Amino acid sequence: MAARALTKGLLGLRQLRAATTGYSCGGHQYATATAAKPLQPVHDDVSEKALSLPLDKPDFFRVAELFSVKDLFDARVHLGHKQGCRHRLMEPYLYGCRLDQDIIDLDQTVEHLQQALNFTAHVAYRGGVILFVSRRRQFGHLVESTAQDCGEYAHTRYWQGGLLTNAPIQYGPGVRLPDLIVFLSTLNNVFQQHVGIRDAAKMNIPTVGVVDSNCNPCLITYPVPGNDDTLVAMELYCRLFKMTISRAKDKRRQMELVHSLTAPSTPSS
Amino acid sequence: MAAAVMSRCRSRLRFSSRWFFRSYFSSDSSGTSGSDPPAADTPRSGFAAAFDLQTEIRREAGNSAAGLRGSSSGQDESFASLLRRSPLVQMGPAKDRAVVGRIFHVVQDDLYIDFGGKFHCVCRRPADGGEKLQRGSRVRLRLQDLELTARFLGAQTDTTLLEAQAVLLGPLEGRENRD
Repeated sequence: MAARALTKGLLGLRQLRAATTGYSCGGHQYATATAAKPLQPVHDDVSEKALSLPLDKPDFFRVAELFSVKDLFDARVHLGHKQGCRHRLMEPYLYGCRLDQDIIDLDQTVEHLQQALNFTAHVAYRGGVILFVSRRRQFGHLVESTAQDCGEYAHTRYWQGGLLTNAPIQYGPGVRLPDLIVFLSTLNNVFQQHVGIRDAAKMNIPTVGVVDSNCNPCLITYPVPGNDDTLVAMELYCRLFKMTISRAKDKRRQMELVHSLTAPSTPSS
Repeated sequence: MAAAVMSRCRSRLRFSSRWFFRSYFSSDSSGTSGSDPPAADTPRSGFAAAFDLQTEIRREAGNSAAGLRGSSSGQDESFASLLRRSPLVQMGPAKDRAVVGRIFHVVQDDLYIDFGGKFHCVCRRPADGGEKLQRGSRVRLRLQDLELTARFLGAQTDTTLLEAQAVLLGPLEGRENRD
């Protein structure tokens, strides 16, 4: 209850700040056609250059340097569940099965994780709202503190049915929905997938998700095959996401400073 | 004022006594083997200085080369070789294997022990040596299963308990003997 109120308050604040600075991120600000008119994005040379420059290089934020195969291996990311728990659609991501335990292919995980972190960095660079979701109770505090440290949001409690799909009615009109949802564990319990995955796909919100060998990777935009049951692995993911988002935000501040110093003085609106 | 003078006298006395000891030892060593170098605090010159410098450089070069080799081999090692050499794979079947674990959480009588696998195991505190086992202590375990799963009737996939099963053998004795 308190978490929902907090999320609502923060989302409302974020929207006010976005309105004053004029950055728009994505077209899914409104779930239904309400009376309020959409924000007019303010384009000028500085912001256009700042927004288009990172798109020229494939790895502008150099997220590939943040981790290696050895780091993933030491954090036990390659360990999957038993053979009987395997999801049929996770078979392409598995290296093999050793004494009934599935082993996840870390070479594929490295590529997927690089793409996921790169996308997260770009979203954070453009001032997007990132929501961390995990329903594992033993890692709830870790996820919440990670989100707080990088200035983003987390939801590790009970997920209300209409949180994304019924947001204007539950939280008031003009609520800004997250621009990216990061699932650090895609399951509610061992039988059910998290409702947020289906709802994010319905609302056109891209998702990044750590999928274990018993998860369904279908609706997730950037799946990262890996272990989500061990504390070491979760700490590694949280650390990587925090570093990526901080790096992207620092880069944005730096870019704004550089361009505002070099650009000719424009009349302020 | 008097206290400062007293302390200065005492320190001078201590320094002089130390100097006496050092000269005594150096004279003793030079007496036993005539070609021993003088005490360490006197500055080296000439060939001795050059020799020291060269050994330092050679030692640092050796260390850095070993470090580079170590880090590059860590980077270049493929996932397949890392997996093949990992303790989990080298161990083989987990049934009745003795491993060392570390307690990371305690709930009254239940000890949550992490032994390096995917899951932790939960063991009951033994009656006799129980008080010594606290958060952070290392214990010996006999593994039974790395993950407790079972396929129930009518289910599509196995139901997993998200826990391993192991029997607690006792605290790690070697550390106490070493201390």
